[in-house]
Amino acid sequence: MRGRPNPAALRAAATAATGIGLALILGVTAGTVNRVRDEAAGDVGRMAAALWELPGGGEAAVTAFLAERATIEAVRTDGARTGAGAHAYRTGELEPAAWIAVAPGGQGRTWPHLPATLALSGLLLMTAWAVARRRSPPSPRFPTIPALIASLLLAATAVAATGRTHRLLADLTTERATHGARAAEVALAHGADHGQARRAAGLPPAITPAPAATPAPSGTPTPSATPTPSTLTTPSQPVTPSDLLDALPGYEDTRSPAIPLTAAAAASSLATALLLFLLPLSTRPRTLRRTLTAWSFLTPAAVLLLLFTFGPLLFSLWISLHEWHLVDRVHPFTGLDNYLTLTLDGQWWSAILNTAVFTLHVPFAMAVALGLALLTRGSRRAVRWARLALFLPGITSVVAIAVVWKWLLDDGYGLVNRALEGVGIRSVPWLTSPDTALVTLMAISVWMVVGYQMVVFQAGLAAIPRDWYDAARVDGAGPLQRFRHITLPGLRHTLFFVLVTSVIGSFQVFGLVYVMTEGGPLGATDVAVYHIYREAWEFLRFGNAAAMSWVLFAVVFAATWLHFRFLERRWAHA
Amino acid sequence: MTRAAEDVVLRGVEKRFGDVTAVAAVDLEVRAGELLVLVGPSGCGKSTLLRLVAGLEEPTAGEVWIGGRAVNDEAPGDRDVAMVFQSYALYPHMTVARNLGFGLRVRGTGRDEVAERVGRAADVLGLGDLLDRRPGQLSGGQQQRVALGRAMVRDPGVFLFDEPLSNLDAGLRLRTRDEIAALHRRLGTTMIFVTHDQVEALSLGQRVAVMDRGRIQQVGTPREIYRRPANLFVAGFVGSPPINMLPLACTRHGRLAGGPFVFPGTSPHPAATLAVRPEDLTITVGSPPTPAHPHGTSAHTSPTPAHPPAYTGIPPDPSVIPPGFTPGAAPDPSSPPPPFTATVRRVESLGSEQRVHLDGPAGAAWVARTSPAHPATPGDTVQVTVAWGRAHLFGPDGVRIGTPPTPTVTGGHD
Repeated sequence: MRGRPNPAALRAAATAATGIGLALILGVTAGTVNRVRDEAAGDVGRMAAALWELPGGGEAAVTAFLAERATIEAVRTDGARTGAGAHAYRTGELEPAAWIAVAPGGQGRTWPHLPATLALSGLLLMTAWAVARRRSPPSPRFPTIPALIASLLLAATAVAATGRTHRLLADLTTERATHGARAAEVALAHGADHGQARRAAGLPPAITPAPAATPAPSGTPTPSATPTPSTLTTPSQPVTPSDLLDALPGYEDTRSPAIPLTAAAAASSLATALLLFLLPLSTRPRTLRRTLTAWSFLTPAAVLLLLFTFGPLLFSLWISLHEWHLVDRVHPFTGLDNYLTLTLDGQWWSAILNTAVFTLHVPFAMAVALGLALLTRGSRRAVRWARLALFLPGITSVVAIAVVWKWLLDDGYGLVNRALEGVGIRSVPWLTSPDTALVTLMAISVWMVVGYQMVVFQAGLAAIPRDWYDAARVDGAGPLQRFRHITLPGLRHTLFFVLVTSVIGSFQVFGLVYVMTEGGPLGATDVAVYHIYREAWEFLRFGNAAAMSWVLFAVVFAATWLHFRFLERRWAHA
Repeated sequence: MTRAAEDVVLRGVEKRFGDVTAVAAVDLEVRAGELLVLVGPSGCGKSTLLRLVAGLEEPTAGEVWIGGRAVNDEAPGDRDVAMVFQSYALYPHMTVARNLGFGLRVRGTGRDEVAERVGRAADVLGLGDLLDRRPGQLSGGQQQRVALGRAMVRDPGVFLFDEPLSNLDAGLRLRTRDEIAALHRRLGTTMIFVTHDQVEALSLGQRVAVMDRGRIQQVGTPREIYRRPANLFVAGFVGSPPINMLPLACTRHGRLAGGPFVFPGTSPHPAATLAVRPEDLTITVGSPPTPAHPHGTSAHTSPTPAHPPAYTGIPPDPSVIPPGFTPGAAPDPSSPPPPFTATVRRVESLGSEQRVHLDGPAGAAWVARTSPAHPATPGDTVQVTVAWGRAHLFGPDGVRIGTPPTPTVTGGHD
């Protein structure tokens, strides 16, 4: 569209964006409720199926359980398919609903009054605004009021819809519990034991400590039978709806549409705001075109950034406020509990301390790198080869380096200790003693980063004008004075850059530790990122791990801020 | 306060970078207290020569003497020289005061003495208010003065300037040039000043050394350089607009001739080049003045109708007949030299003067500097008179032979 953009079309588009957002919110709400209603029916169906499979069960039990709500098609039409249906149920090929059809419960498909009213009124407001203004030229300023109305309505609708969905899902949870209790009751009435009754109610088998007083069902104890650590037991108490509510995760916890609803509201607000942002520009086509061009270039990167940087960042913040185990379906909100726990977690702070000690290798590496940079200036062949050799570790995979060093430093067959023994020196437990392991890792890290730092320093050195050195020589400054008064001040920005990036990199060390020491021995090399990794993927405590990540972030941020506060300012005016 | 000025002597100094000879066997004597300007086109080796004096480069051959000492083996800091760089090379992380005092501090001069000498230099250069600033906060002219001050504070025997004015705008350049001249008068120190700008060289130098391709072409006072260029290069390099040239060849009769000119006498050279400064041409609009009626047709436009000033000012001198020329039938020295005819191509009016671009003799592009009082118009046919007493003849090797004798002009009425 090269012509003049039409303000009316932009207003209509903004209204449409809001409308689409509202429709999405309502659609997601309705879809979630319907899906969960079907799921609940499926759960009830599974209870019916369990009753069917009871030795004393069958059609009578199912009919007693569900009365007219269920249609047991397969049994009624073709007895032969019963077994097939049961088999399909067991193997999960067929939903019980295909076998025992259960009419969905709940209050039926009710009109979502509040959210729908909100959505409709919002859409009406926006449409009225667009229609009323269709002939007037856009004002040169951002139309704040329509944007605000649209965002507020979207947010209100999303909140209302979330609330309503939660209520409906909670109702379904209650209904399932009621049915579960009824199923257990029917099962017991049809001669099942309590274990079978629990299964019929949809409860997992209860696990209680082995020595619990459980009367053997058959009364034929085998003396040789060793007590197993735990065994399936049958609680003698009948199953009640509150048992079921406690034991099974509620639909409102596992199927909450909060995140998609928030996303829909946010995306729609954003789209509306963007379109409204273009509105004042529509009177200035050149500016508009430039803006659109700029945004079309920015959008891919911005989307990637949102999806893969800010999204995960916010998600980890969200996780850190919950008790979040990978295998659990419910992630209860715990506020700042994870962070409070961390403050008293000695192992975590010892990991932070290890990381801080590890970071001390940075200034040492920088001094070595600066020396090497000064030594390997110029373009002689030998110098170029030396530079290449020094730079290679920086471009080699950390894992490869770690594996090779682990082999070189092995206590038994490592080349280094063999060489030491060869010249009569006692072998050193490089990686196997808590006293040496961290220092060894620091030394390897120095070797790894020196080449990169050297190259950066050389670039910095090349940027120092030769005239300064000439002037200093004419002024009578010797080599050391030139280093002190010309080279170091000339490199101050480079030094600062290398220091900050290296410290940040050092706080994030992981590969070396993971491959070479796995945090050991005795936690001597348990650094922060490795600790976080173990917390998440070994102990599956994602909430804690996320909280640790944010604490680490705060530590790195504080360290960097201190650098800027105390070094950059001083060096800039030194 | 100032120490005795020191002389600088270069003996057979040569500098090669690989296969490239930057400075070739230069002998040069800079007298104590003298301001000598090294001038030449870029790449002529003048900066390298200066760096050789400073000790920033080591000569491939030859000796550098400063104040009677052979300094070839002395570090730059020990040579008692101070240098001002084209980029000023101020240390950006130091204040002006620390920049000025750096050379003293690294020599271990006491704090009080440093402060005193810095203060004195700052007073001389008017830097008193800027002492706490950093170079980045100064204008180009101020930075230039700090660079000067840094050299002055050390109170050296020799000042070296490497194109210190080329980063300044035109007005500031003129002013700073005057300041440097005044500084030289005040300090009386030996100064070597490198520039590529011949106007700067002539206006500033007590003596000027013109360099080309690593060799010194001529050393002399500005007047000598301008009025008696030693060779074609110097003649062509010095002067703006550049000198007018015309190749001459020998006729069958052994006379030099080129364009409308035939020079009297027999030439020992098979060929030569005639060079005339633009201000030594006089232009008369219209047909040539006839010797019998000098107040003829051209009287209304000619600046000095009968006798152009260039001619009357410089009477031909028999002694300027170049050596080797056999005097022939020279025209009567008392009569004005005959003009030649040329067409005006373009006129530059500069206010104080006008530059008339001509289709000169034998189609050569010549330029005449004339008074704006008598404007010329492109397309005019004009009569041009040469002040032969100030013209130059250069031999086939480019070396100056002398002043040519007044030639006869043929075809001047075309």
